[in-house]
Amino acid sequence: MKQKIEHVFRHEYGFLVASLVSRFGLQQLESIEDAIQWAMTQAITTWSKDKHPDNPQAWLYQVAARHLLSELTSAKRRHQLASQIELPPNADSDIPFTGELSDSFLRMLFIASDPAIPAESQLVFVLKSLCGFSTPEIAHRLFISEANVYKRFHRAKAILKRNNQLLDSLTDAIVAERLPAIHDVLYLIFTEGYLSSHQDHGVRKELCEESLRLTQILITSDLGKTPEGHALMALILFHLARLDARQDNLGLVLLEHQDRKKWDKQQIQLAFYYLQTSASGEKLSRYHIEASIAAEHCLADSFAETRWDKIAQAYALLLKVNSSPVHMLGQAIAVAEWQSPSAALAMLASADMPAWLTRSYHWYAVLADLQIRCEQPQAAEENREKALNLAPTNHIRKLLEKRLQI
Amino acid sequence: MSNKKFMCILRSASGGCEKPSPADMEKMYAKYQAWQDKFADNILDMGGALSGEGAVVSSENVKDGPFIELKEIIGGYMLLAASDLQEAISVIQASPMVENAGTSLELREITTP
Repeated sequence: MKQKIEHVFRHEYGFLVASLVSRFGLQQLESIEDAIQWAMTQAITTWSKDKHPDNPQAWLYQVAARHLLSELTSAKRRHQLASQIELPPNADSDIPFTGELSDSFLRMLFIASDPAIPAESQLVFVLKSLCGFSTPEIAHRLFISEANVYKRFHRAKAILKRNNQLLDSLTDAIVAERLPAIHDVLYLIFTEGYLSSHQDHGVRKELCEESLRLTQILITSDLGKTPEGHALMALILFHLARLDARQDNLGLVLLEHQDRKKWDKQQIQLAFYYLQTSASGEKLSRYHIEASIAAEHCLADSFAETRWDKIAQAYALLLKVNSSPVHMLGQAIAVAEWQSPSAALAMLASADMPAWLTRSYHWYAVLADLQIRCEQPQAAEENREKALNLAPTNHIRKLLEKRLQI
Repeated sequence: MSNKKFMCILRSASGGCEKPSPADMEKMYAKYQAWQDKFADNILDMGGALSGEGAVVSSENVKDGPFIELKEIIGGYMLLAASDLQEAISVIQASPMVENAGTSLELREITTP
């Protein structure tokens, strides 16, 4: 029982917000969040070993709904909000079915993926309202200030309140239009955790697992079980399986030096299952290709045995689908292993890289690494210095020093 | 020898302070469970929270209450058993409730004739 309870607060939070929003409307979001918090506070003091509810989700829903209703009723009585509040006609505390809860949750995901909301605000909104992270927790995880979190959240909320009418009408067109945005936000949650330079491994893993959980909910629903969704799930699992091996007592561990026995075989197996089921649609998404690249790494018994030709070709394909210069760096790294470091250098030299990339440590680190291997020590030294200076944290600086030895 | 009963009254500062997140609540929950386990003999009744709605009744009239303009509001109560006040104090001091900023807990022995 205790295990079942362990994550009940964090995991139910989003379901509760979503189902109360679908009942009371987005206008009441603040009161809804307060009511859920109240219900959870009650749970903390009243749930004990012998007085534990059989269905904690239903218990929380009921307590929150009752509290919300009495708050709204008394607010109405005080005439503070008389004109604004319309209580739902059957606003008793009926417990919704589990199916209804996940329907509301999905609907909330679709609502939050309103194209009018900037991606960074969507991210914060999902983390706050559906994952239940507090403002300081989000600031801590995304490396932004609390004021910035607050601003992004309120921007999303303001837009959502204006576009409130969408709540009941999830048409096929909206679903088709917004699914890619939902995938992007889920993947963003994942990469925020996976690529983060956060010192605390646990903090990083938490975001990755949160993204896995939401993706799982999405792709097990009728609306979300698309090839692209399955590809995203596969991609997340391929990465997650290797997360623990990326870190040792000394810091981040390069792919080359990772102990592949530490990779989670069950997750890799599951990832292959999703990759297989993803191969059914007409459209080849970036997630399909990125998952197949990650799969190649997982298939290889060692760094040397990796099929770098396949990976380089996959990156070339990826660049056609999603032309991000970051993918070109990935391609160059694969080409260096498959053909030669000088071929990779030549490729980067002729490519047209945007200024933001050539101001990042990634760019200089890859250049320095290739130049070291091409025995161009002077150029390598210069780029190594630039990479070290641009490294966002000590963590990454140490990794670069380890890797870029001239 | 837990033969005395104590009423524990919880007061919280109204408003203010950052709200705990669900993750905080999970930690809180674990602490409460541990505390309740440890002092199972002392905790007679976990009591409950007091709603913000109510009335204040006197011989002259009935007013809407409680008085929300007060700086501290009574948020909840519980019943403890202990051999003396000192023991009751140590039970409460070990509880997660005292960790909340702006919360104070008043202990009063329940006397019966």
